[in-house]
This record gives sequence, C-alpha cells and structure tokens, in this order.
Amino acid sequence: MSRRRVGAATAAVAAAAVAAAPDPALAHGLVGRQDLPIPRWMFAWAAVTVLVASFAALAALWPRPRLQTLEERVVRRVPALLDPVCGAIGVAVFAIVVYAGLAGSQTANANLAPTFVYVIFWVGLPIASLLLGDVFRAFNPWRAIARCVAWGSRRLGAVADAEPLPYPPWLGRWPAALTILAFAWVELVYVGRDDPSRLAILALAYAAVQLVGMALYGIERWEERADGFGVYFGLFAALSPLRWRRGALLVRRPLEGVVGMLTVPGGVALVLVGIGTTSFDGFTNGTLWNGSGGGGGIAGFLTDRFASLGLGAENALMAAFSVGLVAMVLFVSALYRLGVQGMHRIGGRYAARDLSRRFGHTLVPIALAYIVAHYFSLLAYQGQATGYLISDPLGRGSDLFGTASATIDYGIIGATGIWYVQVGALVAGHVCGLVLAHDRALATYRNPRDATRSQYWMLAVMVAFTSLGLWILSAAASQ
Amino acid sequence: MITAHFGHWWSTLLYLVPVVGVVGWLSFQQWKENRRKGPEEPPAGEP
Repeated sequence: MSRRRVGAATAAVAAAAVAAAPDPALAHGLVGRQDLPIPRWMFAWAAVTVLVASFAALAALWPRPRLQTLEERVVRRVPALLDPVCGAIGVAVFAIVVYAGLAGSQTANANLAPTFVYVIFWVGLPIASLLLGDVFRAFNPWRAIARCVAWGSRRLGAVADAEPLPYPPWLGRWPAALTILAFAWVELVYVGRDDPSRLAILALAYAAVQLVGMALYGIERWEERADGFGVYFGLFAALSPLRWRRGALLVRRPLEGVVGMLTVPGGVALVLVGIGTTSFDGFTNGTLWNGSGGGGGIAGFLTDRFASLGLGAENALMAAFSVGLVAMVLFVSALYRLGVQGMHRIGGRYAARDLSRRFGHTLVPIALAYIVAHYFSLLAYQGQATGYLISDPLGRGSDLFGTASATIDYGIIGATGIWYVQVGALVAGHVCGLVLAHDRALATYRNPRDATRSQYWMLAVMVAFTSLGLWILSAAASQ
Repeated sequence: MITAHFGHWWSTLLYLVPVVGVVGWLSFQQWKENRRKGPEEPPAGEP
C-alpha cells in the first residue's frame, strides 16, 4: 500500500474516531450566521488602530506612574462567619459535582459535572473574579477542608508547626502553570474529557494533591503558589476593584491589584499558558488546523505522522493535539519574549529576564480577554444548562427545584452580538495591558520619554496578540 | 498543497498586515535613530 493511501486510511480512521467520540456536548462554536457591516479582518485593523491611538494617548496624558502603590480602603465590614460559611458551601458543591459525576448518567449533557467544570468553573469563575473579587478563594473546597482540619487540630493541641516544610523558592508558581496546562490538556486533547466519572475522579485526585501540599507547605503558602486554579483565578481577581479580606470588603482602583504579582518564578509562564491554551482551543476550530474540503489541515498531517509510527487512531489524534497545544503555548511565549527582547535593546539597562518578570502582569488582562472572547458563547448558551442540571444533577429524572424542564434559549444573543462581545473584550483587554505596561515603564525608567520608547516593542506584542486573537476567532466563525 | 488551498487562507494575510505595519514602523524608527546617533556614541543607558 502506498504511503499516500496509508495516510488517507489513517485520516479516515482518525475522522471515524472523532465521529465516534461522545457528542461535543460542550462545543462552543457560534450559532447562526454573522451579519457584519464590514469584513472580519477589518475589525482587526480597527482594533489595532485603537491600540496605537491608546498608546499615543498614554504617552501624552499619563506622565507619572499611578498604579504602582496599592491604595485600598474598607467600604464595608462583613461578618467573620462569612468565610467558613462560604467554605462549607464550596465543599458541598464540590461533593455534589463529584457525586453526580460518579453516580449519575454518563451522558455529558445530562450530568451536572461536565457543564459545571468546563462552563461554570473554568469560564464563569474568571469573569466572576473580575466583577466580584476573589470568589474562588472564598469557596475553595480544599482550602476550606484544610482550614477546618487545621482548626480542629489546633483545638486538640495536635499541631505544633503549621508549615512543616519551607516552600522551595525556585518552585514559585510552576506547579500552578503545570496545573493549568494539564487542565487544558484534559479539556482540549483528552478523548474522555466529557466523561462525567473520569472528570469526578480527576477532581478528587486534584483535591487530594492540594490537601497533601497544604499539609506539607502550609495552607496559605501552597494556595498562593501551587494551587493552580486558586492562583489562576486569583490573578483575574487582582484586576477587580473589590478585595475581600477576613471581616472586610475593600475597594481599590481597577487593575492596580495585579501590579507586581508575577515576580516569582513561573508566574509569567502561568499567564502565557493561559493565553496559549485558550488560543489553541480557538485554533482547533479553524481551517488551518482542521483542513477543508476533506484534507489539508495540520491535525490530519500530524495524525498521519503519529499513526505511521504505530499509534492507534485515538492515540495518534491525542498526540497530534498535544503537539499543537504545546506548540501554541511556545508560540505565544516566543511573541512575549520578542517584545521583552525589544524592550531590553531599547532600554539597555535591565536584563531581559528581569524585564520579563517586571512586565508579566501586563498579560493578565489579555489572558482574561482571551477567555471572554473564546468562551463567551459557551457561557451564554451552555451556561443556561445549569438551570435544568441543578434540578436533575445526576440526569436520572429528578426535579429538585422545579427547573428540570428548562431549556437553552439560543436566541438570547445572536452570532453578530457574540462577535461584537469578542472584539470588544479583546480590544479592552489589550488596552488594559498597554495601560499596565506604560505605568510600569514609567516606574522603571527615569523619564517618560525613555518609558514610552521602551514600550514600542510591547505595543508590537499587543498588536500581534490582538491580530492573533481576532484571526483565530474569525477562522472559527468561518468554519 | 498550500497553493491549492490558497482560496481558504489568503484572508489570513490581512490579519498580518497591522503587525507587519507596526513592526516595520518600529524598525524604521530604530534604524533612523541609530543612523542619527552614529557609530561612535554608546547606546542609551550604558555608562
């Protein structure tokens, strides 16, 4: 059999494997046809124009650093009991989701677990964090369990040292970055991603690792360094004007909470993983990855190569997607690295590694913008499924709250509306990134002119990220 | 293969135009500045 025929046969098997896989229950493609007044690529040009104009406006109108010192004030006292109550709710929700995954129907759309994990948790929480502050920290189930155990141990006088081991400084936030990469792999690559029982087992395994880590290195230290979801959602919460502290609600200027948050090792990598994995999710919906008219895509090419090495169809497909995922993270990292190198060449005074950490937080609003842009339709449509799933979390026909017959209203927002939300989110996120970078540059360099010059290449990075994001969304919408 | 599918991906190039434009403009500015400074003068920031 010729090489070409082997390839064609493999591609057919791979396509069959994809078709035979469970329905893409949580697919978040656009519904309907976009009715746009101008071609989509013109939106990219307009977005870049906004960025360049914002850059010029910042240079002219923002002569002093304003976000480098955190200014917070208490606006409301809240009962100290709120913290343990929220923790108890978080533990209860975690238990319900895991139980639903293990004991409920194994059809993804009928079980609460997949929708909760991929929509409410993964997409809803970053947006809620921006609007309300660090809500995940309040409801974090493993933190709540660890704190409850620590409290009980203290009452019994059993704990002498709350942190038996010092957390290694070199480890920084690398565990968090790896956690987000692993979650993205499960979501985007793993063929069993929609399987409720496997999701439940993974959630239990993650919780167990967190509890061991907190026991070894201390609850707070582990939570702020190594709990991937806690750190990731915490970054988005740092953009919020609200901050919850035990017994008080504080307000601050938007964005300023994130300044200086990524100076520890692995911090920048975490954000780059976030942007890269979200980009890959969009990229896999486009023609370049999938091909068109029966072939020509990168996925088919890679799957063929892995199949020719002896992998089965399913494993070859996962290997191809794994390579794509890692390649996209590396590509996004290289873009940022280019910007930092350019900054280093112009400024001259700081090492590239140092600049990378100093300016890493400027990527956080971009990461959030990518999440909103890529997953907004998922949240708008599949998020509504929570209405019937909370009444029937196991998919066994129960109706706990009388909402089991609720349905998803796909007319809530059209494809055109979604496109405008996506473009708006990307532009807003990148402008916020420019603001943070400009403010940081003013604090880093001696005079405003040097600061502005140092940011020329960061502007190029922002322009590249904007164009990349809109191209990916456009390619997905064209499919 | 790539040219056979040109009709599917040519519009991708339009998304590259702003990036090429900004990078080109920055490179031009850098080149102009280096030329104005001349080869003897050390780069800004160095002692």
